[in-house]
Amino acid sequence: MAEFHLFIGNKCFSSWSLRPWIAMKQLDLPFEETVIRLRQPDTKANIRALARSEKLPCLHHGRRVIWESIAILEYLAELFADAHLWPKDQDARALARSMSAEMHAGFLEFRQQWGMNLRRKKSPKPLEGAARDQAKRIEDYWRRMRASFGGGGPFLFGHFTAADAMYAPVVSRFDTYGGTLSPDTRAYCDAVLATDGMRQWYAGAAAEPWPEPSPDE
Amino acid sequence: MANFTLAIANKNYSSWSLRAWMAMREFDIPFAEEVIPLDVAQTKTKIARHSGAGRLPVLHHGEVRVWESLAILEYLAELFPGKAMWPKSRAARAMARAVANEMHAGFQALRNACPMNLRRPHRPLAAGLSEEVLANVARIERLWKDCRAAYGKGGPFLFGKFTIADAMYAPVVTRFETYVIPVSRASRDYMDALIATQSFRDWKEGAAKEKWIIAADEVA
Repeated sequence: MAEFHLFIGNKCFSSWSLRPWIAMKQLDLPFEETVIRLRQPDTKANIRALARSEKLPCLHHGRRVIWESIAILEYLAELFADAHLWPKDQDARALARSMSAEMHAGFLEFRQQWGMNLRRKKSPKPLEGAARDQAKRIEDYWRRMRASFGGGGPFLFGHFTAADAMYAPVVSRFDTYGGTLSPDTRAYCDAVLATDGMRQWYAGAAAEPWPEPSPDE
Repeated sequence: MANFTLAIANKNYSSWSLRAWMAMREFDIPFAEEVIPLDVAQTKTKIARHSGAGRLPVLHHGEVRVWESLAILEYLAELFPGKAMWPKSRAARAMARAVANEMHAGFQALRNACPMNLRRPHRPLAAGLSEEVLANVARIERLWKDCRAAYGKGGPFLFGKFTIADAMYAPVVTRFETYVIPVSRASRDYMDALIATQSFRDWKEGAAKEKWIIAADEVA
């Protein structure tokens, strides 16, 4: 049995689950995975019984049960300090944590209007109101981090970090709904979409037998 | 080390600001504070000077600008490892971060129905508590109980000594208090410990002196 066991929701639409999952893949960390189907009458009971948690994603490591995507990422960052899941530079790390925390608790309208749905055909869907400003702010963060810290690679802080993991579902949303993106946004999205982690996640989503979510949801 | 300036919103209403402020006070980290009253003319321009996100609190430290309460606290925990702002054991720390993050992104029903309002006379919400709010309260009490049972032996706080997790839940404690939400004896003890801290008392005193009223946060 693998040392780590990650419990997640449907790959087609569980944006929270994608975050620690892709980080663990990018860390090359072997782990067992259990997908608990969401939106079912027994979903809650299954999460409790299998993950011993109220929420997904949830990581089991020995007897430890860790939930909340950022808490899982912080835990992995501590365990595998040499992998620098947060940027090495202290100032960069502060920014990475700020923008990750903002993603964790914010951008609500953006997330609602562009719900992650890996089955949806790629076609533009304009954002309205606050969501439009939020998309602008996200692109502005990406541009600024890339410009200030992105010299060493294609990701926000050069190499792949927890901030990229936190924004991976946002990348999929830009790809699905964004239409023609600005060149720098497109380049960053393509870098994340080209990771092994993201490709394996998409393949897993495509193989899901369940009807939800519908392609035009 | 460069000086710290913490930009915060009204003490009476800003639950996000309370978290960073209280932790810095409890851990004896000196800082200058700048209060930017919410919902008055020019608020947006003033906040924008501090934060691209248009949100408070924001911590300035030399050239560094850190926003989001939890990110600010992670930043400080790294700068001051000797202060043990997170619990010392890895297992406890993992749990502390999980409960802190659940607060950071969750409990919307409670937060919307019962805005933090330190000057409000203590009385139940006139409209009563919805099922969603009660579910939030039950979950919070469960988390407190689990933390206290597993790691609370060394003191009255979630992990014994005061940690970032307590700072994150301070605004919840005030809501339970303000809206007279019924809780267990153990939760009550925890709330009393938090309310008795010097930092919380100072914050509340600051709130009492403020004149600004935010109508949307004044609920019957």
